Amino acid sequence: MSEKQRTDQVIERVLSDEADVREATAPHQADFPYDRDAEAQVTRREFCNFLGLTSAALFVGATAFAGNAVLQAQREETFAPARIIGAEALKPGTSLNFRYPTARDTAILVRLLDGTYQAFGQKCSHLSCPVYFAREQQRLECPCHEGAFDARTGTVLHGPPPRPLDVVQLELRSNGEIWAVGRNPGSEERLI
Amino acid sequence: MQRVPSGTARRSHDHPRRGRTAVAQARLILLIMVNVAQLWILAATVEAALAHRLSALLPLVIASAICFVVTLTLIFWWRPASPHYTSSGYLKQ
Repeated sequence: MSEKQRTDQVIERVLSDEADVREATAPHQADFPYDRDAEAQVTRREFCNFLGLTSAALFVGATAFAGNAVLQAQREETFAPARIIGAEALKPGTSLNFRYPTARDTAILVRLLDGTYQAFGQKCSHLSCPVYFAREQQRLECPCHEGAFDARTGTVLHGPPPRPLDVVQLELRSNGEIWAVGRNPGSEERLI
Repeated sequence: MQRVPSGTARRSHDHPRRGRTAVAQARLILLIMVNVAQLWILAATVEAALAHRLSALLPLVIASAICFVVTLTLIFWWRPASPHYTSSGYLKQ
């Protein structure tokens, strides 16, 4: 090798930005099958177009979420009376999960220490996490953001929930059965 | 103003490369900032939808639409400024 070739190699090694780059491992190369030359071929125009598509996708996503929420709120629900199976055997200070008015609408029946029954929609009014009955505190709690609701009325005790739980109307029939006969939103705020 | 032949204009536009690169970078940064803002708007929309705060949904969707229009404007109608030529190719007096 001539002196000039050695000099050229040194110059190339010094000027190259590849000198300090590690070789890609086989798993990495399998997951991301692009070498550095291919990565460098993304043009500014392509990146701008990608950002434009991202913006369009974000706009469509926001519109879809909002539209779906409005459609759900405007849906007319019918509340056919439904028996809550197992409610008669519920001991004071315990709870029972059931679904009302449809199989998609979860609800929770609570028997308070004084023997009375209360039922609420199980979706927290903050971000729709399912609430549960905390026996020690005798209140309904949301595990996601530590919100709490009064087990007697469904009103917010503390935490981020903005409004009370939906209330399921109950009816005690003559043979001791508990029936759900209606469901009211926690407040009128959800209505347009 | 007089219209400049396209070849002349192209040569002139090629000359100040550094300035144009800076402006192009600024456009990219603006696009990324708008994208980040839109991402935040989408998160707020999801939160409002889950919490049934319907009164907040329309302003959020409008804000997202405005961001999208700004993005389209930056991509399609934006042109680099030149000290010698207008954005439509006319020689400045």
